[in-house]
Amino acid sequence: METTDRALLERKVRKAFQVLVLQRGRNPGVKGWELKRHLGRDYKQIVEVLSEDVSPLGMEVFEVKGPEGTDDTSRFLLRFKEPPTVSEAETSGIRIDDLAVLASTIAFVNSKQGRAARREVEHFLRDKFPKWRVEYSLDRYVKRGYLEQDDRGLLHIGWRTRAEVDEKTLMTMILSRGSKEVASP
Amino acid sequence: MEPEKLEEILRVIELCKSVQGSSANPFEVDIVEKIQLLKERLPEWKFLDELLLDSEAMLELAQIVKLQDEWLKHRASSLYIDPLLIQLKVKLLAKNELSDAFVKSWHPTVQLDQISPKGLEKAFIYWRDLAPMSERFKEEFGSYGVKPGTVGYAELVELGIFTSQQFDKELKELYEVLLQKSNGNWIDYRGFIDAKTFEAKVLRAYLLAFLISDGQASLRTDPLSGQVWVMALNEKASGAPRSVALAVAEGE
Repeated sequence: METTDRALLERKVRKAFQVLVLQRGRNPGVKGWELKRHLGRDYKQIVEVLSEDVSPLGMEVFEVKGPEGTDDTSRFLLRFKEPPTVSEAETSGIRIDDLAVLASTIAFVNSKQGRAARREVEHFLRDKFPKWRVEYSLDRYVKRGYLEQDDRGLLHIGWRTRAEVDEKTLMTMILSRGSKEVASP
Repeated sequence: MEPEKLEEILRVIELCKSVQGSSANPFEVDIVEKIQLLKERLPEWKFLDELLLDSEAMLELAQIVKLQDEWLKHRASSLYIDPLLIQLKVKLLAKNELSDAFVKSWHPTVQLDQISPKGLEKAFIYWRDLAPMSERFKEEFGSYGVKPGTVGYAELVELGIFTSQQFDKELKELYEVLLQKSNGNWIDYRGFIDAKTFEAKVLRAYLLAFLISDGQASLRTDPLSGQVWVMALNEKASGAPRSVALAVAEGE
C-alpha cells in the first residue's frame, strides 16, 4: 500500500472511531448513512479495519440490521467483544435483580414469538419479583431500548437487546441451568 | 345494511384486533374464510360507512397475515422454545443464576458521554432566550397557555351564549322547518343548513346534529357522489345510532 493511501486509511479509521464512540442523541451507535457521510462510500471496509484494530482492546464494531435490512439503515456500534464478569457488571451500577428481570423478560418474550402483552409479562415476573420492581424495571428497560412497548401494550425485543445480547446464548444458558436444578432435587 | 351482516364484519375486525393486541397465535384466524365472507358481502355495500368498514376489515386481515409471517419466521428460528418450559425454568432458577446467564451473553456498548463547547453554547443561548413560564404561551394562544378544545352544550349555556330555554326553542323551530321542508322526503343537507352568514350556518349544523342524535331526524350519505340528505321523522328513530363526520366549511 502506498504511503498516502495508508495515511488516508488511518485518518478514516480514526474518524470512524471518533464517530462511533461519541454519543449522538439518546442512543449509542451511528446509522450506516451517517457513516457514509463521514467516511465515504467504502465505510463498511473502514469499519471492518477499525473492528480489527480495537480487537486487542477487547472491543468490536457490531452491526444491528435495520428494518429494511440495508447497510445504510443498519446501526453500527462499538461493544465489548467478550461478556464482562458479574462483578464487572455490578460495578457499572446495575443490580442483580434488574438483570434477572431483563433476562426473564427476554426469555419470556422470545418464547411468545417475540411479542407478549405487558400485563402478561408482569404477571409472569410477579411470581419471582416484587410488583414495584417489575414495573420499575420494565419501564427502565423500555426507556433504554432493551424492550419496546407498542401502543397496544405489547412488549417486543428492543434494538439494544439485539445489539448487546446474544439471545441464543441466553436462552441456552437459562435452559441448561434449569435442567441441572430439575435433575438435582 | 342488515344489522346481522354489519355485525359479521365488526366481529372480523374485533377478532383481528384482539389477536394483534395479545400474544395469541395469529393462525387462529381463518383468513380464507374471512376473506370469502368479505367477498360475499361486498356487492351489498352501498354507503360510504359500509365500504369503509369493509376496507378496515381487509386492513386488519392484512395485519394478521403479517403477524403470521413473523410468527413462522420466529418459530423457525432457534430462539423458539415452548413458553411453558421457559416459565418453569425461570421459576426454578435463582435471581443470581438468571443475572449470571444474562451477563454471560451480554456485550455492553462502548460510548462516551460528553458535552462539546458547541453544545454548551447552544444550551446557554436556549437558557438565555427562554421566556418565563407566565409569558411563554401568551403569543401563541393569547392567554396563559389555554389550548383550543371543544365546547359542549353545558358550557355554552354557562357562557351565556345559550340559555336552556333558548336552545330548546331553537331546536323546536329547526325541527318544524325541517319537517315542513322535507315533508317525508329526503332533502339536501348542505342546502338545508345554508344561511346568510357562516356563523348562522354552523349554528344550524350544530342544532341539526342534536336533532339527528335525538332520533328526530335521519341522515343518508352517498359515498360515490359525496351527497348528504336529511329528513325529519314524525316518530323518534329507535335503531342503533351511528356516527357520521361532516365538515362545514365557509363559502361552500
